[in-house]
Amino acid sequence: MVGRLLGPRRARQLQRFVRNGKLTIFCLFLTVIMFRGYLGAGKFGTPEKDLDDIRETLSFIRNRAEPRRVLEEALISGQGGLKSAENAGAGSNNYAAFDITKIFRDEDDGAEEFNRDPSQPYSLGPKISDWDEQRAEWLQRHPKFPNFLREHKPRVLLVTGSSPKPCENPVGDHYLLKSFKNKIDYCRLHAIEIFYNMALLDAEMSGFWAKLPLIRKLLLSYPEVEFLWWMDSDAMFTDMAFELPWERYKDVNFVLHGWDHMIYDEKNWIGLNTGSFLLRNCQWSLDLLDTWAPMGPKGKVREEAGKVLTRELKGRPVFEADDQSAMVYILATQKEKWADKVYLESAYYLHGYWGILVDKYEDMIESYQPGYGDHRWPLVTHFVGCKPCGKFGDYPVERCLKQMDRAFNFGDNQILQMYGFTHNSLGSRRVRRIRNETSNPIAMRDELGLLHPAFKAVKV
Amino acid sequence: MGSGGAFPAQKRLPMTHGGARGRGAPLLLRGRQINKTLHNIKITILCSFVTILVLRGTIGIGSLVTSEADAENQHLIEETNRILAEIRSDKDPSDPDEGPERFLSLNDTFSLGPRISNWDEDRKVWLEKNPQFPNFVKGKPRILLVTGSQPAPCDNAIGDHYLLKALKNKIDYCRIHGIEILYNMAHLDKEMAGYWAKLPLLRRLMLSHPEVEWIWWMDSDALFTDMVFEIPVSKYKDYNMVIHGYPDLLFDQKSWIALNTGSFLFRNCQWSLDLLDAWAPMGPKGPLREEAGKILTASLKGRPAFEADDQSALIYLFLSQKERWMSKVYVENSFYLHGFWEGLVDQYEEVIEKYHPGLGDARWPFVTHFVGCKPCGSYGDYPVERCLKSMERAFNFADNQVLNLYGFRHRGLVSPNIKRIRNETVAPLVNVDQFDIRHAARHTAEPQS
Repeated sequence: MVGRLLGPRRARQLQRFVRNGKLTIFCLFLTVIMFRGYLGAGKFGTPEKDLDDIRETLSFIRNRAEPRRVLEEALISGQGGLKSAENAGAGSNNYAAFDITKIFRDEDDGAEEFNRDPSQPYSLGPKISDWDEQRAEWLQRHPKFPNFLREHKPRVLLVTGSSPKPCENPVGDHYLLKSFKNKIDYCRLHAIEIFYNMALLDAEMSGFWAKLPLIRKLLLSYPEVEFLWWMDSDAMFTDMAFELPWERYKDVNFVLHGWDHMIYDEKNWIGLNTGSFLLRNCQWSLDLLDTWAPMGPKGKVREEAGKVLTRELKGRPVFEADDQSAMVYILATQKEKWADKVYLESAYYLHGYWGILVDKYEDMIESYQPGYGDHRWPLVTHFVGCKPCGKFGDYPVERCLKQMDRAFNFGDNQILQMYGFTHNSLGSRRVRRIRNETSNPIAMRDELGLLHPAFKAVKV
Repeated sequence: MGSGGAFPAQKRLPMTHGGARGRGAPLLLRGRQINKTLHNIKITILCSFVTILVLRGTIGIGSLVTSEADAENQHLIEETNRILAEIRSDKDPSDPDEGPERFLSLNDTFSLGPRISNWDEDRKVWLEKNPQFPNFVKGKPRILLVTGSQPAPCDNAIGDHYLLKALKNKIDYCRIHGIEILYNMAHLDKEMAGYWAKLPLLRRLMLSHPEVEWIWWMDSDALFTDMVFEIPVSKYKDYNMVIHGYPDLLFDQKSWIALNTGSFLFRNCQWSLDLLDAWAPMGPKGPLREEAGKILTASLKGRPAFEADDQSALIYLFLSQKERWMSKVYVENSFYLHGFWEGLVDQYEEVIEKYHPGLGDARWPFVTHFVGCKPCGSYGDYPVERCLKSMERAFNFADNQVLNLYGFRHRGLVSPNIKRIRNETVAPLVNVDQFDIRHAARHTAEPQS
């Protein structure tokens, strides 16, 4: 038909043209497919991605995971199931598939909010200069709240805390719970009060700096407290019988674990540890907190301060300013102002790095007994770097969690022995009886004398 | 596929085919056949090549050969799953093999321990000999709050998170009111497992701590929501047990929820030891507990069929031995020593508007108890979202009362974030006197009844 319209030669040329056109399109198509297969097509992805997307939409198990996100992903894939379907049903009774962060929501209840003036340089609060006098006057007016429970025994408030949101690691909250129980046990025996913080008081002082506004707030709110004992959530008590040597600290205001020469001579960034320290409730401490705070505010200030600290301190890697390095820096550079009221304690483990302690627990049980607080039986085992609440820490997960269990049981055995029990082994959650029930319980004594220890006795 | 330039032979074939007649026909035929075969082979090879290309383009060879990175990921995931499963499981690899579990038979008698008969006298003597551990401190009887949870991680992470928050809540209340707290995570008696585990624990604690006047058991899923209210212990000086419940539900209707053993107080005395001994026999795991469950379901109104639980057993004991026990049991309902959560959690906004903390009753509930939510398990009796949202609300409702001293408050009852409601000052002790519950309470103390 075309031929009749255009003439025979023309028709043939057209036919040839069409044929070539078909060939060209076909070859182009093949080429595109080839290239997509090898290189992908930008945001259209590779064909493999197409199939994966299809797979995901059908809610099959996601098996692609970056190595460090393993803990979080593993649980999701382990639970499996149709996550989206479960969430959609408000009537679901299954806890496994529920995402708690759906519930959290900020609401305005109408109460007036007070914020710090951002144009001013950062400060923890208005400067107080007569705290010692204010406090002394208050204590006189409140004789029922003395700052010393007995001669030489000050009133102590142990402060620790964690995030108000669930841990990213699925077993993180369990270890926080155990660590909290461990602290409660020690404090009950030693007549120490506990404050567990779950609030971020100041958004600018986030992360490790969050303790500063909290400590200041607690010192000012509890004038009857003589010493505030800050303890990290990843530190555990492993010597329940050791009472701190309060008399040794009667003339100092700040007690940390560390070594004088490593701070004042070497300026070593791990010459002291701010994971477990004592701070007296007095004007000096408020001044110290004010001096400590400026390196903390999030953002440029913290970054720049970090560079200064890395430059000035020995062995410090490059990262933003942390409270521990800042304290080393302050003590090393303002020695005359602060050092006479700072005690760097190394006679016992006010902070004990876990790496060198946890493998020796069985030896300690064999050779020593609780009450030493030092390398023979450490007071505190501090799991620095383990970060059980986060997605990943600096050490392998298995070692950290297993050792935390062991440290917990090591301390818990000292509590259980009061009631006649002990753990089956340091790695076991189960307990067994070591002392039978008797019909004359009043005569029963526990070996370590922790049921009614002298450090818990009230003034008669 | 249309004709193409790659197949020039095709054009020639018809002509070859056309000229095939004649003398050289067989030879030509074979030659043609060979040509055809070769030609077909070429086409086949080309087609398969194209097919492979197309397949490679769509599926990729990734699914045929796993890459090294994927394998490593897989290994990490398996390893972590194994660790988590090991931590979660009840079986400890370090434990010796205990053999098959043996249950007490119906003929065996169970006892919490050797019978003690003069605990009151022994305790009195001990207190006299140990004046540094008195049973009354600052005019108030020494109370020990006991709570606990399972030693293994919860079935899911959110359970542990709410155990942690509930413990903080209890610590806050106890610090404000000078109460000691003990958190138990050990199964002391394998036979008395589950809700019965509190019995051997309470007995052991009473006997080990003669200085404790009242032992207060509280479930891990109960939260304090009135931080100011203090239990009026002087009201109970003639009683040995304080438990929340309704006498008409108990004696008239014999209902299995007439009392609640999620929050109750025991005096440390001989009577309590006797009660524990009388309470325990329905507890031991196995046929004893099963049979007891049947008796309880038959005797109590509304009880479903399941093994014996401590609450039903206590109600049954009080009903069957009323004269022996009830004179020393105070069934309290003038305040919410236990407050069932469903009716309470939605009222918090109204409560804040109309009333103030310190009332402890329906106006401002003392304790909100999340019965049935079971966040530590896999499934609860209520929708998960409702339970968790309500627990978060109750926690924040109580936490606001604690944060008030510091000048902060949560940004709404479902927010973990806080906001400042009072500026820092240079005279903080004025606020301390006004807002610290322990100091403020002295000025507004209600008369002791």
